[in-house]
Amino acid sequence: MSNPGLRRALAGYGLLAIASLGLPLVTRDSYYIDVATTILMNLVLTMSLRLEMSTGQLNMAHISFMGIGAYASTLLVMRGGYSFWVSLWLAGLAAAAFALPIGGLALRVSGPYYFLISFAFSEVVRLVFNNFFVGWFGGPSGLVQIPKPDPLHLGGLRLTFVGKVELYYLMSVLLLLAAAVLVRLDYSRFGLLANAIRQSDLLAETVGVWVFRYKLVAFVLGSFMAGLAGAFFAHSHQVLHSSDFGLEPMVLLVIFTVIGGTGNVWGPVVGTVTLTIVSEFMREFHYYEILLYGAVLILTMLLLPEGLISLPGRLGRHRRRERPEEPEAMGAGVAP
Amino acid sequence: MTRRFGGLVAVADLSMAVTPGRIHGLIGPNGAGKSTVFNLISGVLPCSAGEIFFRGKRISGLRPSEICRRGVARTFQATTLFREYTVLQNLLVAAHLRAADGLWPSLVASPAYRRKEREALARARELLAFLGLGGMAQAGRPAEKLPHRDQKALGIAMVLATGSELVLLDEPLAGLTAQERAEMLRALRRLCDRGLTILLVEHDMKAVMGLCDVVTVLDHGVRIAEGTPREIQENPAVIEAYLGAEGARA
Amino acid sequence: MPIELLVQALLNGFALALVYVLVALGLTLIFSILEIINFAHGEFYMLGGYATYFAMAVFGLPYLPTLLLAIVAVGLAGMVAERLIFRHLRGKTLNAFIVSLGLLWVLQSAAQLSFGVLDKSVPRAFSGILRAGGIIISVERFVVILAAIGLIAVLYAFLRWSRVGQAMRAVAQDADGAALQGVNIEVISMLGFAIGCALAGAAGGLLAPVFAVSPAMGALPVVKAFIIIIVGGMGSLPGAVLGGLLLGTVEGIGALFFGSAAVNVLGFLMVIAVLLVRPRGLFGV
Repeated sequence: MSNPGLRRALAGYGLLAIASLGLPLVTRDSYYIDVATTILMNLVLTMSLRLEMSTGQLNMAHISFMGIGAYASTLLVMRGGYSFWVSLWLAGLAAAAFALPIGGLALRVSGPYYFLISFAFSEVVRLVFNNFFVGWFGGPSGLVQIPKPDPLHLGGLRLTFVGKVELYYLMSVLLLLAAAVLVRLDYSRFGLLANAIRQSDLLAETVGVWVFRYKLVAFVLGSFMAGLAGAFFAHSHQVLHSSDFGLEPMVLLVIFTVIGGTGNVWGPVVGTVTLTIVSEFMREFHYYEILLYGAVLILTMLLLPEGLISLPGRLGRHRRRERPEEPEAMGAGVAP
Repeated sequence: MTRRFGGLVAVADLSMAVTPGRIHGLIGPNGAGKSTVFNLISGVLPCSAGEIFFRGKRISGLRPSEICRRGVARTFQATTLFREYTVLQNLLVAAHLRAADGLWPSLVASPAYRRKEREALARARELLAFLGLGGMAQAGRPAEKLPHRDQKALGIAMVLATGSELVLLDEPLAGLTAQERAEMLRALRRLCDRGLTILLVEHDMKAVMGLCDVVTVLDHGVRIAEGTPREIQENPAVIEAYLGAEGARA
Repeated sequence: MPIELLVQALLNGFALALVYVLVALGLTLIFSILEIINFAHGEFYMLGGYATYFAMAVFGLPYLPTLLLAIVAVGLAGMVAERLIFRHLRGKTLNAFIVSLGLLWVLQSAAQLSFGVLDKSVPRAFSGILRAGGIIISVERFVVILAAIGLIAVLYAFLRWSRVGQAMRAVAQDADGAALQGVNIEVISMLGFAIGCALAGAAGGLLAPVFAVSPAMGALPVVKAFIIIIVGGMGSLPGAVLGGLLLGTVEGIGALFFGSAAVNVLGFLMVIAVLLVRPRGLFGV
């Protein structure tokens, strides 16, 4: 395999797989497993947000699709009697189903209006969860006693998902599935075009790229993944409240994604892991944490707008002279 | 075609026809509406009135990407490139119409997808050579680091990569030295000989008259003359328009 | 439905709507000059509220000087923010928006750490009520209405007739053109941002005695301001005024029929509807 892009993709993915699957072998401490599970869930959210941002759109309603997935799965299980293993995917589809018309409408408007309309949608969703259909969504008190995933029968095995380690593995598998799709896309023509659209959607359009469609696909796929994460959140957390899907958690996602870097699929990984760990140290100092994150976000956008992931590249360029090298073509399997 | 911005008529009832296989020039004093015409044809701006046809089919009202798909591509006056991308990546994006479109092919990387990617890559390399962009040594350079002449060449290469038959060039000679201009003119002539149809906007009168088969003159959004370079040079209305502009500036 | 009830409902919300208009004017002014959507705008409103609190409750200053102090203080804060942060992001809407999210967090948490989370009440500046026909209004709200209208009028005069104001309008319309005509874009950006923030600070100061001050008090006004400027058209000042009046009316009447929870949703639905049908809003550029 001579394509350096592909090598990098596989290496990164391999690292992710080893780290996530291997963690419980290193420690079974419930605290660490908890934090790690949160990191993995946040990774699905930030990597899917980054997919949308790679086409140049900041979707302030991303968290709302997580919420739609969460409530959908909860209601399917608690009211509809479905198994988690069905409701999980239906939750993702529900989020995607809402994303299609919402994205279809929101993406018609340009830049600044798009942030605001997506923010408006997110507030509408949150208010609906908080104040309307109280019989379904629990109103201001939310929903409680959401059951954990029911046992899964695979071949002759019976897997239960009651303990933290078991839930951790479930999240790992979900993350690795999502990451497989996202990494594959980023290193393919889709990724090439998405990032082109981000740089100049006018130019992309005039060379024949149907920009609206790519943005919509990213939006719907990203929302589907957010829905999956939401379903996991509901059944592992076992409590749901509309404030879980409001502006503060959304801004946190933006911070994780942007500080890591939106230029490629690995940026959010760096950002999420680093900042979640920092956040754990600052657990008791909630307001200091917010202050720090806000400040770091500002500094990052001013000084290092491409995020932490661009740091090695920048340092490397300072140290050696620029050498023209064999360029990497995007697209797997392309022989040079 | 007509284009109005609020109360301002940028282009008024312009009718023009571009013959295949020719080089057609569009000239006029500053603010005459030339870039607006390009925006109208390429679908970036909608017509306030009127229609545009390409090969007998209506293209006005279509998305720019659809218009490109039909065979019309353009460059921009302020050279627009994908700045973070390398030269090669820019061309690969522009070669999009030859590659597999959409989510599924990228996800699944079928043999057809791979083949099309190889073709796109081959085409990109061909173009690098044709426009003198220094071949593979240059391919890996980020587009924003290129000298001006190469950036312009890349812009044109991208348009060629789309495989369009009608190519709209917005001031392809701007900012080039005399020698670079001569090279560019030769390249454009060669492209036309290969069957491409070119419509260009230019301020360099000598170049336009030397290169173009037909010239349309625009002033304040209205067509004031159309014909061969010789006819245009002798047209009193044209001379007036340019002198008028000069006079106003003096 | 007796007309008086309707008028009363509208009047109750009128003071509030005008204050939100002030916030919206500040936001749209900043957008028109710097092309930046400042999500942290509500925090400047909050700073105005706290400035008022400190001046009146802690230092015992009378109301009018306090209000002026709040305006100046928040204007200066805005100037600092512009110089340090937003100046480098002029025109880069996405990055500026993200930075403003960061600034929001910084200011809000700084306030929570410095002032504590609990509401602080500001001494009332005016007491008593006015009566006309069957309609009543507190003197306090009446003063708020007058002050808000006064500030809007001052802003209008400033933009219409002063050199700086005209320069601002020129930059808002066409920054490059204005630069060619010798306008100092840097200074105008700074002043524009400062005035925008000062308006938010004024709004905070006006409502501080009416409601209490708290670190999160900026959240609701800024959301209302966004609704107003989208409906009215981003970058348009008359749009902000009309958008505000429209929102106030819709919410006032909506509250009468649907209750207050639904009213919040109404505002957002208005936004979504406007953005889909006429993205530029009523008067948008």
